Amino acid sequence: MRLVAFAACVTVALGIAGCGPGTDDAHRVVIWHQMRPDERDVLQRQIDRYMSTHPGVTVVQVYKETETLRSGYIIGSIAGQGPDMVYGPSDPIGVYEATKTIRPMEDLFTRDYLADFDSSGQVWYKGHLYMLADKIGNHLALVYNKKYVARPPTTDRELITLCQQIQNRYGYTAGRPNVYGLAWNYTEPFFFIPFFTGFGGWIFGPDGVTPTLDTPAMIQALRYVRDLRDVYKIIPGESDYEIADALFKDGKTAMLINGDWSWAGYREKGMDIGVAPLPLIVETGRWCAPMTSPKGYSINVNVPPAKMALVLDVLKYLLSEQNQLETTRALNTAPTRRSVYQNPDVRNDEILMNSLLQIQRGRPMPVVPEMRAIWDAMRPSYQAVMGGTERPEQAAKDMQSLAERKIRDMME
Amino acid sequence: MYTRRDRMFIAFLVVPSFILLGAVVLYPFIYNLILSFGNMNLTRIRDWQIIGIRQYVKILTEPMQPGFYDIFFKTIIWTVVNVVFHVTLGVFLALLLNQKVRGKSIYRTLLIIPWAIPQYIVALTWRGMFNYEYGAINLILTKYLSLPAVEWLKSPTEAFIACILTNIWLGFPFMMVVALGALQSIPQELYEAADIDGATWYHKLTKVTIPLIRPVMVPAITLGMIWTFNSLNIIWLVTNTGEPSDKTHILVSFVYKAAFNFYNFSQAAALSIFIFLILLTFSLIFMRRSKATEAAY
Repeated sequence: MRLVAFAACVTVALGIAGCGPGTDDAHRVVIWHQMRPDERDVLQRQIDRYMSTHPGVTVVQVYKETETLRSGYIIGSIAGQGPDMVYGPSDPIGVYEATKTIRPMEDLFTRDYLADFDSSGQVWYKGHLYMLADKIGNHLALVYNKKYVARPPTTDRELITLCQQIQNRYGYTAGRPNVYGLAWNYTEPFFFIPFFTGFGGWIFGPDGVTPTLDTPAMIQALRYVRDLRDVYKIIPGESDYEIADALFKDGKTAMLINGDWSWAGYREKGMDIGVAPLPLIVETGRWCAPMTSPKGYSINVNVPPAKMALVLDVLKYLLSEQNQLETTRALNTAPTRRSVYQNPDVRNDEILMNSLLQIQRGRPMPVVPEMRAIWDAMRPSYQAVMGGTERPEQAAKDMQSLAERKIRDMME
Repeated sequence: MYTRRDRMFIAFLVVPSFILLGAVVLYPFIYNLILSFGNMNLTRIRDWQIIGIRQYVKILTEPMQPGFYDIFFKTIIWTVVNVVFHVTLGVFLALLLNQKVRGKSIYRTLLIIPWAIPQYIVALTWRGMFNYEYGAINLILTKYLSLPAVEWLKSPTEAFIACILTNIWLGFPFMMVVALGALQSIPQELYEAADIDGATWYHKLTKVTIPLIRPVMVPAITLGMIWTFNSLNIIWLVTNTGEPSDKTHILVSFVYKAAFNFYNFSQAAALSIFIFLILLTFSLIFMRRSKATEAAY
């Protein structure tokens, strides 16, 4: 009989372990993010300081890869679980709102508190504040190695000429430049946007949700990027993020188009780098405008009211002036608090000032859920053009029809 | 004869397993089945409804990017080519290792290495090796074999071949280990008898070796088929989520993308049911045709 009771207990215990809800620790705040290692280090230092002054409170940061973070957060939150806060760029806010997985935050902060935040650091969507950021930008710019480039180019013609000069100066081996002029991740449409905007294009029409991908600007931009590789031969034959990054770090490309998240890493590696805004396309008279987006914190809809005060305290601490200044100094990222910009360290930072100029010339990334369909529709045809299997004219048509179909599927 | 008390005891021992299986197999399966008849997507994630067989009809009749039949055809090629190479290479190497070879244990260890390395490390390493300009494969092709460089990851066909090559490298050790175990269990007397009868090497292979390793190899091949059919990691990581242009997907990678990138959960569930039916049919037919459950002796 004792054995029967034991088996029954095992059954019940297994049942509880397998199906029961997770524990809700009122003194433990969990943050999911997709930060790079150097960002994580800064965050951990800040968390450690908070915990040292708040005995009994545990703050845990958990790294997740971008896509895993989004899907894992949505699924977890719908199941009534997930972290207390989710950190990342603003583009999934529309998806989080559509799935009702984050809570509006406007009731949690006073107007005076929010007044110190740059408007681009507050993500309002459908009349609600859904994210409060500690960084703005998350944008691309031209990073150059000062060993090869004394003065960065300001127009695309200067860029092409400079790249060719550098490649000729350092010679070729087996038909391949020993030092490329320029490299970037040309498999991802996010990196293509500056060229698209440089030719006068934008992903959505005036209503902010109707795709406008089948346009002359798209065709011109696709042709232009392909020509940089096949006609001007100033970029590598194949280049994803890792390859472009490695080429720059190894001194095998003079210039790189990369985001503000990467610059501190290059400096830490001992490289003498400069950052400049992306060039002007002479043909159109327009600047290449990257997408910009704030990176910040949103609060899980499942945070119980009793725990909200603690979560809010941690959030306010992480967004404090002192911590933003520390982050800016360590990572060269643009802060969201206006008061931080008064600090001489920030005002005299050449990279940061050029970064801010690039942000001014950029365009905010829409946060609507339709954005997802745009990326998924652009990627295959953009890659097909770069792979030589599709013409730019057909690619633009395919992107448009695929984006429309994906949005229709999403909304049906 | 079991007493009532014994039967109760047995039942209570079995119950935890049933509950666990129900929780981790039966419940997800039934939920997936229900989901496949629904319309759960990004905008209806909390208030989805049952809409009948529309997802199935849509998959089979409406054009998708990439198309269902294209993906299905690729999945068949992926599975068959991989398993053929896994088995051929595995059995071949097992036959070699079953001979009296000097340093056999060293060879055996070296050949098992691909299997021992975590898949994602293998996939990302091979992805680097397939780079057009800086990858080891093209360097070998151009420098040592005087062949033109191949744009492995830029074109759909080459990218798919790159995935297959990676998976072949990754998968043959399993078949080799299984085949080696089966070979070592064959009594030596059978070969001696065959020698007395004047059997050639080929006769011994086809009349003794293959029939006797079949009962072990058939379940291994069946498992290999199912694993390869459902192998997400290699395609996902070598081609960076189905690049270029989403043209290198097999069914499972597309299901993953549909569910966790496009948030089209019901479509992904319907595709999963297709995968389940395909694998179930294959397993039943293969096991029956190959008479795997029959004794060898």
